[in-house]
Amino acid sequence: MKPTIAIREPVVDDLMDQTEKILTEEQIEKVINEVIDQETGVRLQTYVNTCIHCGLCSEACHWFLSNDRDVSFAPVTKVKDTIWVMLEKKGKVDAAFIKRCSQIAHTECNVCRRCGMYCPFGIDIAYMMLVVRRICAKLEMVPLYLQDTVNSHAATMNQMWVKPDEWIDTLQWQEEEAQGYVPSARLPLEKEGAEIMYSVIGPEPKFLAQLLGNITVIMKVAGLDWTMPATAGWDNSNMAMYSGDFEVMARVERLHHETAQRLKVKKIVMGECGHAFRGGEYDGPTWLGWMSPPIPIVHAVAFYYDLIKSGRIKIAKKVEGPVTVQYPCNIIRNAGLGSKLQYIMNAVCEDFVDLIPNDRHAYCCNAGGDTINCGPPWKKIRVQSAKIQSENFKRTGAHTIVTPCHNCHSGVEDIVDGYKLGMHVKFFSELLIEAMEIPEHLKPKEE
Amino acid sequence: MYEFVSGPLVWIAFIIFIGGSLYKIYNMLSGAKKDITLFRHMSLKHSLASLVHWVIPFNNQYMQKRPIFTIVSFAFHICLILTPVFLLGHLVLLDESWNISWFNIPDKVADWMTIIVIAGCIFYLYRRLTDPVVKNVTDGSDYLLLAITALPFITGFIAYHQLFAYKTILIIHILAGEIMLIAIPFTRLSHMLFFVFTRALFGSEQGYWKHSKDW
Amino acid sequence: MFNIENWDWESKEKMLAEPAKWKDQFEDVWEPYISPDGEKIASIVKIGEGEFNIAINEGTWEEPFEKIWYSRFSPDGRLTAFITKDMEWTMAVDGKTWEQMYEYIWDTKFSADGKIIAATTKVDSVYSITINEKTWECPTKLQSIASHVISPDGKTSVAIAQTVPLAEGDVNAFTKGAWSVIVNGKPWNDNYADIYGLAISDDGKNVVAEYRNSICEYGILVNEKPWNEKFGCTWEPVFHPKNSDEITAPVRQAGQWFLATNGRIVWDKGFINLMHQTYSPDGNNIAAAVAPSFAKWTIAVNGQPWSKTFNECILKPYFSPDGRKVAAIAKDSGKWLLVVDGTVLGEGYDNIWPPVFGPNGDMVICKVEKNGKYAIAVNGKIRGNDYEALWNPVVSPDGTKVMICGVEDGKYYRKVVLLSDI
Repeated sequence: MKPTIAIREPVVDDLMDQTEKILTEEQIEKVINEVIDQETGVRLQTYVNTCIHCGLCSEACHWFLSNDRDVSFAPVTKVKDTIWVMLEKKGKVDAAFIKRCSQIAHTECNVCRRCGMYCPFGIDIAYMMLVVRRICAKLEMVPLYLQDTVNSHAATMNQMWVKPDEWIDTLQWQEEEAQGYVPSARLPLEKEGAEIMYSVIGPEPKFLAQLLGNITVIMKVAGLDWTMPATAGWDNSNMAMYSGDFEVMARVERLHHETAQRLKVKKIVMGECGHAFRGGEYDGPTWLGWMSPPIPIVHAVAFYYDLIKSGRIKIAKKVEGPVTVQYPCNIIRNAGLGSKLQYIMNAVCEDFVDLIPNDRHAYCCNAGGDTINCGPPWKKIRVQSAKIQSENFKRTGAHTIVTPCHNCHSGVEDIVDGYKLGMHVKFFSELLIEAMEIPEHLKPKEE
Repeated sequence: MYEFVSGPLVWIAFIIFIGGSLYKIYNMLSGAKKDITLFRHMSLKHSLASLVHWVIPFNNQYMQKRPIFTIVSFAFHICLILTPVFLLGHLVLLDESWNISWFNIPDKVADWMTIIVIAGCIFYLYRRLTDPVVKNVTDGSDYLLLAITALPFITGFIAYHQLFAYKTILIIHILAGEIMLIAIPFTRLSHMLFFVFTRALFGSEQGYWKHSKDW
Repeated sequence: MFNIENWDWESKEKMLAEPAKWKDQFEDVWEPYISPDGEKIASIVKIGEGEFNIAINEGTWEEPFEKIWYSRFSPDGRLTAFITKDMEWTMAVDGKTWEQMYEYIWDTKFSADGKIIAATTKVDSVYSITINEKTWECPTKLQSIASHVISPDGKTSVAIAQTVPLAEGDVNAFTKGAWSVIVNGKPWNDNYADIYGLAISDDGKNVVAEYRNSICEYGILVNEKPWNEKFGCTWEPVFHPKNSDEITAPVRQAGQWFLATNGRIVWDKGFINLMHQTYSPDGNNIAAAVAPSFAKWTIAVNGQPWSKTFNECILKPYFSPDGRKVAAIAKDSGKWLLVVDGTVLGEGYDNIWPPVFGPNGDMVICKVEKNGKYAIAVNGKIRGNDYEALWNPVVSPDGTKVMICGVEDGKYYRKVVLLSDI
């Protein structure tokens, strides 16, 4: 089979360039065969042997569709250019090939699983891309910014090099901010036996601290018994899951769950993040030997759905004007929260304009699956390859796009910016704070 | 020659087809056991739900989006399986040898079904030659598999209509059928065997484990 | 438990405070804590805008503070908390603050007798450990401290700390090693990519930690010296209770978890996962939480798993004082269960706290939660009444009585009950 012709602008990624220079073919062969023999099995073989090379998966992929149907972005091509060659050559490939594999699997695929849903055989192409990522990670062929994030997870158990005191300090500051709206609001730290442990992802204390203030208000208004840990284990995000460093992934997930066990809570409620839900609900527990997390994890969308549906939170004033939403793959296509997201959008928006396609068929924001964490070197192609979703947003005519996921949030901001859509990008909780009713007795007293 | 290909070779072909298929499936299932999570993430209900949505035409969004491909694919695969099984000519042979028989389809219909299979092969060949994505992932083996699939039907058509060299064509037809049977378990034609399993796995993962749907 | 012989084991019931009244007295009342001997109950209370105090039994601390958090009793019954004044933080012990103020202070640790109080502190962006008001004199400017541990006698304190500043995205410096172990203020010679699972032996002589070199290269360091063997992954190591030269850790090889002692695999059977290995008090037996197959959890004692498994998880095992029995809390199909030697005792609960053995091991007492109320369960069955708040029961040193502390009808009671009457 002839190699695929892939035309890309050259990208300087210091770590990948450096690794390419030092990798030996012996190392590569050893790692490829080790991963294929020991870490994969009949699943990969069956996928490879069942694929009839029909190319129908290409129609599912936003990379392919956004790049004028460039063959080199089709899912099946991504498999051909990585796994097929590794299997055919029994691992005898060179460092340049591994670099291209990382480029394909880490930077040009969001493992969003849309293609799996469009394959007549249900072949999970994202799974194969994760196998490629695992091989690359073991060879330390990982985009620089992504690896730096993984290093942060490994060293600090959070994504953003947040130091323990910075974490606590931020929570205490945001508690005070929340008291500006609701004077009796409290952000309870380390409260053993609370009903809920609330966990967030690293960027919240680092860049988006107001979200912690928001949740403090929401929890107070809903009258819930909750807590947040003052120790590591507060971060539910996990880029190691995506780089292919499953050992670090497991350590991070284990700490997150064991922090909830230590605090004796009934459930973990997590902020608006898709991949973190995937790590906490699926990939982490599976590696650790749990069918599902022993302390159940509730995603913010399901949590807000319960609060609104049960009337614990009442909507005082709906958001005016057309508002649309980005459906995060990891909680919609891959966790079934689509109708709950539609419910809460309708509950807080006067005019919720849905996307086409929507729900589990919606396109990825093209930031998920680690691609945005690959950093500035890979940004141009990422935004360029989100064209199809930019057109979908444009069609809605909305003034605001709601993104109940951090990666979607950043990715959609890049789309809005890159395609000059002139729309706002907000988390659902930001809309909820504006729309919800704060009962009289909780409001600040007039001086 | 005719006696050999229509006698012992048929036996050999069926033994290899059935034995090979069972071996492949057994191999896959025993290998699957080593994947510690695989069976734990499966459920019969969600496997069946997935199959129902993918074996009924236009029962999922994706098929609705590609009507021509869907019609061709369903027609092709239905005819591919039904024609040889219910063809009167095949049943007569079966009756002569083993004295068993079942419902047959009229020759006229079977003839059209054969044409549909051949047309399907031409459609797939055309896609392989013209669709850039498909072309890029096509090599000799894909053409060979297409040829293996098409040949029994082309030769069967010629033989039925006795267009030329009937005896020779008949021998080639039988041989071609046997080659196809033998090829099924050992080539990517094995998607005939594995379709159910890959579908069931993805359907279960999406439905049972991830509370979503795969259609 | 420090000084447990001298606790009041005679008074059958004492009503020591009425926390319910605090709610009328103060703007806000946080969750209460009690002293180890059960004699004191305390809550952080808000008395006004930016003004907090601690309510303790019938009184409060003398002086309020701008903010108070992390109130914890020391083993000798002193109440500690972090307080802030003029944007600076320090430790307060029974209402009296340490002299030095810090940019930040957190993570209190005590020696076994409570005489030594340690916490992580930060001054001018340099991190350190402060022990009884005395901050380590560390030759290296520590960039961060991930965690710290002190020995039971309080004489040795160790921390996992970042010893080298890291620029954003400097993966090479990270790989070379930026983290180390600091023992009493002195860093180990080498730096490592990552350090986890820090522990000190009970005699304070030895320090152990996990290290990570690269994606699949993990090992165990004992006083700076690595085990010869390296592994695909490791979990936290523990010391033998009587022999501080024996260290045991879960290690991963070829996709399975094994138990290794001093580098050598000692349990021949591998598991899907293996965690929380625990020695019996005499050190002759070892138990761990294991998954013999996917999503089936149980306890293995000396390598032999119980036949009964649980489909969600199992927590840390506890040995009876004689080391013959093992109890653990497991979760199966949404319910928490008390399991002793592989047998489920009593019914399932919404929550179960760590089990406490009676002296001869035939009685296991736990705090349990059911329908939002707390109770004491003996061998898995609820005995006595419900509580609004309840603490873990403590068995008297002579093994005849149990102390039960809890809040009923807004009143805090400390009760001493004969084990035979419970």
